Amino acid sequence: MKSISLYQDKNTVIHRIDPLSKILYILVAIIVPFLLASQIASAAFILVSIIILLMGKSLKRTVPMLGFSGLILITVVIIQGIFRPDNVTPALVLGSVVFYKEGLLFALGISLNVINILMSFSILVLTTKPSDMVETFVRMGLSPKLGYVLSSVFQIIPQMTETMATITDAQRSRGMETEGNLTTRVKAFFPLISPVVMNSLITTKERAIALEVRGFDSKQKKTFLTEVKKTRSEKVIKIVLAAVLILSLIGRVLIWLR
Amino acid sequence: MSNIEIKDMYFSYTENEPVLNGINLTLDSRTTAIIGQNGAGKTTFVKLLKGLLKPTHGQIFWDGKDISQMTVAQLAKYIGLVFQNPNDQIFKGKVIDEVMFGPINIGMSQEDALDHARKALSIVGLAGTEDENPYDMGLSDRKMIAIASILAMDTDVVIFDEPTIAQDYKAKEKIKQIIRQLKSDGKMVLTIIHDMDFVAECFERTIVFAKGNVLLDGPTAEVFAQKEKLTQAYLEPPHVTQLCNRLGYQQTFLTVEDFVAYVKRTLKK
Amino acid sequence: MAKIVVEHLKYRYPLTDELALKDISFTIEPGEFIGIIGENNAGKSTLCQALVGIIPNFYKGAYGGKVFIDDLEVAKHSISEVCRKVGIVFQNPFNQVTGSKLTVYEEIAFGLENMGLSRTEMMERIDYSLKLLDIYQYKDRNPFDLSGGQMQRMAIASIIAMRPEVIILDEPTSQLDPQGSEEVFRAVQSLSQEGISILMVEHKMEKIAAYSDRVMLLKDGKMVAFDTPQKVFSLENLEQYGVNAPAFTRICKKLGIKNQKNGCYPVTLEEAEGAINLLKNGGIADE
Repeated sequence: MKSISLYQDKNTVIHRIDPLSKILYILVAIIVPFLLASQIASAAFILVSIIILLMGKSLKRTVPMLGFSGLILITVVIIQGIFRPDNVTPALVLGSVVFYKEGLLFALGISLNVINILMSFSILVLTTKPSDMVETFVRMGLSPKLGYVLSSVFQIIPQMTETMATITDAQRSRGMETEGNLTTRVKAFFPLISPVVMNSLITTKERAIALEVRGFDSKQKKTFLTEVKKTRSEKVIKIVLAAVLILSLIGRVLIWLR
Repeated sequence: MSNIEIKDMYFSYTENEPVLNGINLTLDSRTTAIIGQNGAGKTTFVKLLKGLLKPTHGQIFWDGKDISQMTVAQLAKYIGLVFQNPNDQIFKGKVIDEVMFGPINIGMSQEDALDHARKALSIVGLAGTEDENPYDMGLSDRKMIAIASILAMDTDVVIFDEPTIAQDYKAKEKIKQIIRQLKSDGKMVLTIIHDMDFVAECFERTIVFAKGNVLLDGPTAEVFAQKEKLTQAYLEPPHVTQLCNRLGYQQTFLTVEDFVAYVKRTLKK
Repeated sequence: MAKIVVEHLKYRYPLTDELALKDISFTIEPGEFIGIIGENNAGKSTLCQALVGIIPNFYKGAYGGKVFIDDLEVAKHSISEVCRKVGIVFQNPFNQVTGSKLTVYEEIAFGLENMGLSRTEMMERIDYSLKLLDIYQYKDRNPFDLSGGQMQRMAIASIIAMRPEVIILDEPTSQLDPQGSEEVFRAVQSLSQEGISILMVEHKMEKIAAYSDRVMLLKDGKMVAFDTPQKVFSLENLEQYGVNAPAFTRICKKLGIKNQKNGCYPVTLEEAEGAINLLKNGGIADE
C-alpha cells in the first residue's frame, strides 16, 4: 500500500514508546534550552535525539529534511555572518568578504535551535504510527471528527491518486493526449479534473453515510481499542522528562536571583 | 476479417510478482467473454490490448502489425474500451458533447462525430437525451452514455469491462442487443464479466483466466462443460448448465430455450 | 412480536416531484431472510435507507408514515442510536472502509469505539465477527489490501460486531466475483440462522430464490408483492415489473411444470431437478 506518511513500521524500543512521551520530549527539548538560554543545552538535546533516532533505526530518513533546512540555514549563516548590525570582530576573511564572530555565533544559535526542533519532531513523526499519534491527541481532548480527518488523510489520498490514474486511463482510451506541450496539458485539464471532483463527491457522500451508520455521530463517550501502555519504563521516561523540565525552571530562577 | 494475435505475453507491475505468465491467444470475429476470479489478470490483459500498459515481454499483433509499442492515442482509433465505472470518464455538461469527445479526439470531423454520436445514442436507447446533463440521469443511463461514447468512435474492436454490474433485467437485455448489433456490424467484441448466465446467452467464445494463465479457451458450451477446471478457477457454470449437470445430461445447454427444446424432444420420443 | 413494522411509509427526495416510496406497509419477524427485488429506480435503496434512518435524518425531503424496529421509531432518533439496532451494508465495499485504521482488526473496532464499549468487550466481539465471516486470518492486513469479497465481508463484520438485530444489505455482491458473492450469501444466511432479521436487495434472482424466506417486489415506489419466492416468481406478469425469474423457474414455466402442492413453479436448482425428474418418470406435462 502506498502511503504518504513518513512513518515506517519497525520493531524497535523507540517505536513502542507512548506517543505522549514523545510529545513531552519535544516540549522539553524546546523549552529547556530556551529557559537556560544555552546553546550547549541545544547541542546536548540534538545529540540525545540522534541517539534515540539511531535506536529507532530512523536516523537516515532525517537526511532529506535536514538537507532542505540546511540550505536555508546556510543562507542564514552567510547573511548574519556578513551583515549583522552588531558585527565587530572579524573571524574569517575570504578575499573581500569578511565574516564576523558575532553574526556567526548568532547564526550558530539559530541553526542549533532549528536542528534541535527538527530532530525532536522527527522522533515523533518517524517512529509513531500516524493513527496512534492522532488517537493520542483525541484522548487528550481533540474532537474525534478532526482526529478522523487527520488520520484518514494518510490513506484516502493514496486512494484518490489511484482513482486519478483510472480516470486518466479512461480519457486516454478515448484518444485524449495527456502528454506534450502546454496547450495539450491545458486541454486535458477539464476531462481529468471534473470526473475526479464528481467521483470524490460521490465517494465522500457514501463514506459519510457508512461512518454515520457505525455511530460516528454518537454522543456516547468514545473508548479506544488500543491500550495506553502504563508500564514502569513509560512512567520513568515521563518522570525523568518532567524532572528535567522542573530542574531547568529552577535553574532559570536561580540565574535571575543571582 | 481482422484478428488480434497475442504472442508469449508476460506482464508484471513489480519484479517477482508476475500478473500474466506467457499468454498466447488469437482473438477473432467471435464475440468473446473473458472470465475468472478477481485478480486473475483479466483487467491487466485488457489494459495491455488497449496500450495502457506495455508487455514486459512478448508481442501483440493487429492484422499482422505489432501494436504492443504503439501509443494509447494511436490505438484509440482501432480499439475501444468501455470502463466499468461511467463516473471515471463523464465530464461534459451535455450528453451529446460527452459522446462526441472520443470521435473528435481521433480525428473525425465535427459532422461525422455528430452523426456517429447520434447513432450511438440511439443504439443504447438514449436518443432524445442529447441536451440533457449526464449527472441529472441515473447511474444505469450514465453507463449507457459511457458505452455510446465508445461506440461513436466506430472502432474495429470494442471491449467492455463488467458491463452488467448492478444493472437490472431491462438494462442487461439492452446490453445483449448492443453486443449483437456490434457483431452484425462486423466488430470484434470482447468483454470481462462475472455474470455466467449472461456469458452463456451472449458470447460464442469463452476464455478462462486463472492466476495469470489461460486455463480454458473455446466455444462457450465446451468451456462450461469442463466442471472440474471451472471449480479450479473458482467459477461455476451458468444456472441452466448446473441443472443439466444435476440431471446427468450428456449435452451442455446454455440457455433456457435450448434446454426446454431438448426436454420437449426427449419427452416426445 | 414482529421485529420490523413499517406503516404507510411515504417519502419524497428534496427537489423532486414524485414520491420515491408510495405508502409501503409490512412487518418482518426475527430471523427472517427477506429478498428485495425490482428494476432500477423502483425504490429498493430508498427503502433500505429509510429502515436505518438515513432517510429522513441524512437525506431530508418529505416523509410520512412510521418505521419501527422493536418499539424504536426510527425517524425520531438519530442514526447513531438507530444503528445499535439496525446495521446496513452497501454496494461498494471500498467506500465503506473508514480509511482511518491500518488493520482489519482496528477497522472493525471503529463502530465499537463510537459505542463506548470496554476494551475486552470490543476484542471479544471483533474476534467473534471476524471468525463468523471467515476473515480472521486477515486481521492484521491493511483494509485496502483485501480483495473485493474479503473487503465486503469485513464491512459486514464491522456491522455484526455492533450486534444489531436487523441487517440490511443493499446489493452487497454486485461488485464481487462468483466466489466472493457466494461467500457473502453464506455468511448472511448464517446470521439469519442466529436470529438476525436480514433484508437484502439483489439482482441475482437464483440466489434470492435459494436463500430468501420471503421476497418483496417493488415497482415505482410501490410494494407490488411480498410473499414466498415460489409465489412471487410464479407471478404471470413478472416481466412487466422489470424482473426476470430465476432460470429454473423460466424453464419450468415453459415446460408447464408446477408444484402440485402449492400450484407454484419451482424456483431453485433442487426444486427444478426434482420436478423435471418427476416429469421424465411419467409425470404430466401440459403439452
